[in-house]
Amino acid sequence: MATSSQNTDWTGRYFHIDQILDTPGPRTDPSFLAGDGVKDFLRKQAKILVIGAGGLGCEILANLALTGFKDIHVIDMDTIDISNLNRQFLFRSKDVGKSKAIVAAEFIMKRVPGVTVTPYFGKIQDKDDDYYMQFNLIICGLDSVEARRWINATLVNLVDPENPESLKPLIDGGTEGFKGQARVILPTITSCYECSLDMLNKPTAFPICTIANTPRLPEHCIEWASVLEWPRVQGDKKLDTDDPEHIGWLFNVASKRAKEFHIEGVTWSLTQGVVKNIIPAIASTNAIIAAYLNNYFMLIGTEGVYSYTFEHEKRDDCPVCGGESLELTISSEFTVEQLIEILVEKQDIQIKKPSLSTPTQSIYLQAPPQLEEATRPNLTKKMSELVPPGGEVTVTASTLPFSLSLRITYN
Amino acid sequence: MSSENHTQVSPEDAGNNFFLEGPSSIGKSRAEEAVRLLGELNESVGGVADKSNVEDLLEKDPSYFTSFSIVIVHNLEPKLLDKLSAFLWSRESHPPLVVVRSAGFLAEFFIQFHEHTIIESHSETAPSLRIDKAFPALLDYSLSLDFASMDSTDHAHVPYVVILVRALNDWKEAHEGRPPQTYPEKTAFKNAILAMKNKIDEENFDEAESQAYRCWTETTVPSDISSLFQDPQLSALSLDSPPFFHLLEALRKFTLEPPHTLPLTSTLPDMKANTDQYIHLQKLYKVRAEEEKETFKAHLTVPIDDDLIDSFVKNAHALKILRGKRWGGLDADQARLENAIETSPKQAAIHLSLAAFSSLGTKQPGVTPTVELLTAEAQALLPSGAELPDDFSDYVGEIARAPTADLPNTAALLGGLVAQEVIKVITKQYVPIENYCTIDLVETWTGVI
Repeated sequence: MATSSQNTDWTGRYFHIDQILDTPGPRTDPSFLAGDGVKDFLRKQAKILVIGAGGLGCEILANLALTGFKDIHVIDMDTIDISNLNRQFLFRSKDVGKSKAIVAAEFIMKRVPGVTVTPYFGKIQDKDDDYYMQFNLIICGLDSVEARRWINATLVNLVDPENPESLKPLIDGGTEGFKGQARVILPTITSCYECSLDMLNKPTAFPICTIANTPRLPEHCIEWASVLEWPRVQGDKKLDTDDPEHIGWLFNVASKRAKEFHIEGVTWSLTQGVVKNIIPAIASTNAIIAAYLNNYFMLIGTEGVYSYTFEHEKRDDCPVCGGESLELTISSEFTVEQLIEILVEKQDIQIKKPSLSTPTQSIYLQAPPQLEEATRPNLTKKMSELVPPGGEVTVTASTLPFSLSLRITYN
Repeated sequence: MSSENHTQVSPEDAGNNFFLEGPSSIGKSRAEEAVRLLGELNESVGGVADKSNVEDLLEKDPSYFTSFSIVIVHNLEPKLLDKLSAFLWSRESHPPLVVVRSAGFLAEFFIQFHEHTIIESHSETAPSLRIDKAFPALLDYSLSLDFASMDSTDHAHVPYVVILVRALNDWKEAHEGRPPQTYPEKTAFKNAILAMKNKIDEENFDEAESQAYRCWTETTVPSDISSLFQDPQLSALSLDSPPFFHLLEALRKFTLEPPHTLPLTSTLPDMKANTDQYIHLQKLYKVRAEEEKETFKAHLTVPIDDDLIDSFVKNAHALKILRGKRWGGLDADQARLENAIETSPKQAAIHLSLAAFSSLGTKQPGVTPTVELLTAEAQALLPSGAELPDDFSDYVGEIARAPTADLPNTAALLGGLVAQEVIKVITKQYVPIENYCTIDLVETWTGVI
């Protein structure tokens, strides 16, 4: 519960925001409780969760606090890095190394009297359904597709048709250089995050033969250093892309290879960019995206200002929020291994380590080790030997709290 | 960076501004408080809080404004805005002016500038590889290859550019010097490329086949670049002309000579190839690109910095010249206004609502802006008989209910958009807007007029 904000208010504090809270506009929903109704809800009851305290998260927290939300929670598993300071404006140089969630919470509470921000320095997966049930709204400023898929699936699974309170609206945003998007997800009602998975740009993956034998670009040399040479030289030691010594090692090794092949362009910053899959971030785009059913807003700021607001439609065969099985046609010669490759690669599926089973048997299980070993021989078997035409295969993965139902047909 | 405000922080200000420290800022200079707190974001930025009055400055020392690279105003009262914008428009050398207006969930902004030239527009289109007009060293290299007796690994790693140059040469020799022209010819050409394969999985030949169109599509000067050659600045070129136009004139002269294309690029996209062949090809392009750059330089009649020449030639395919308009131009041009209402009703509605609000405030200061008053004022801005856009009441109603609301979310979005545009204008990279950008935060929508 928020602390009593009456002590920290002053006359005129809400002059600006009250103009839209006291009077509905021409397009305001008829159920809007103008005046005390909405102000009471906003300032005394509403509980919001912000996931991510980075570029978008900082903007979101500041906007929510000034809008009048008094009870905000924030989750972030990262610590502050010096490169964050050009846009994550709740942090200063003295904060480098500290938890983003904690520092962000402290800054907001200090700057905006009467707001309570409760930080959690950890992963969203650490929290259970009861935790997420307590909020009215969840807003994400995440930097990973996997995390978004997780929270999306969790909220969709939370929905209990008998309990309207279990429907937690999710607002998700993302930015990349001059481009950004924001969307509203009403779990089970509108399209969900999984429904639009195929809209994502495929990450650049260089073929292994290019990396190993025929490098042409500086990026190829860097990938060689990180994917092939590091494991060969460093053995089991895990590559930490945040460790400048590790980056230094990669940079030197990549530079040597580049020299050998007469390739120019290996720099420290390119090395970091490639191994961390860094996408340039600029503060102004974060400010725009944090600030907005038609449930999907896209902004491109490279040439003039171009934006597009539209309705993204639900997919009936969405593995998270749709009910139907996904129809998949494969060659009758396809092995289990080949099917798994499709599940990893296909744009609208993208499940990293899928386990497959039918109602009557386990085809291939990724874990635990004994079961993996036991089902491994199936990898080279043909799917048509294990599953009849029109048969159902259930796909699960440890990283995702949902299962995908496939109906297999053969050609 | 300079923040200009002669007012003190009011209790209302302290409630909606993240860069004030709540009640402890009340009574202090708003400019000083904001600059102090903004300054924390970047130690290398110098911030100056100026407490003078815009009106006084315009009267007594307008050169204050021309000392800046760009001037940004928000909700400036019309009389001062007209004066300031007219002053800044009066000379080409005066800085651009960004005019921002907002009320509640509606906003718009406009950049007043004379001329803005861009070399680094970061266009998504790539420059031509000129496969249809292969330069001598490239042609010689492609002819020197013996595909029949080549090592099989090498064969599978010949870059597609080289394959196409060779294939095109061979085709022309068998067709009186003509490239493939009809549909059957193009199909035959593509099949001939695939027939060069020794093994099914030679991806470089697949790449060549998919890029075959480059052989029959003539590389010319792109039309959006050749249209720049008509620019009036070129016919009035003098020693004082900006370097961009001297470079543009040199480029024009360059294209008058065969092969009538832009100077060759030295950047190759990635393609299926082994390192040696790729690097060799890259070198051929680099050497030739340097030669063409020297030819280009010879057309220059004034000394220009090498780095600038480099950048210009590299971006020759992506150059842009923007010519801006003066503030108030749209409202003064009845035809343009009527056209805007017809083709962009939403944007026009937002613009007219904000314009009406602004003009009403001048004509009837202190009067509460009702929907009726605002609508009448908007109607008065239009030629007699002209109709307001559909759904105008949706927009004017927003202003009527929240006329003086400076909402944090609107400010954040607007601030972000304006900051991006300012960065583009100052760095001369990417392309700034040339018109009004209108914003509706009820529907999370932006549109330009």
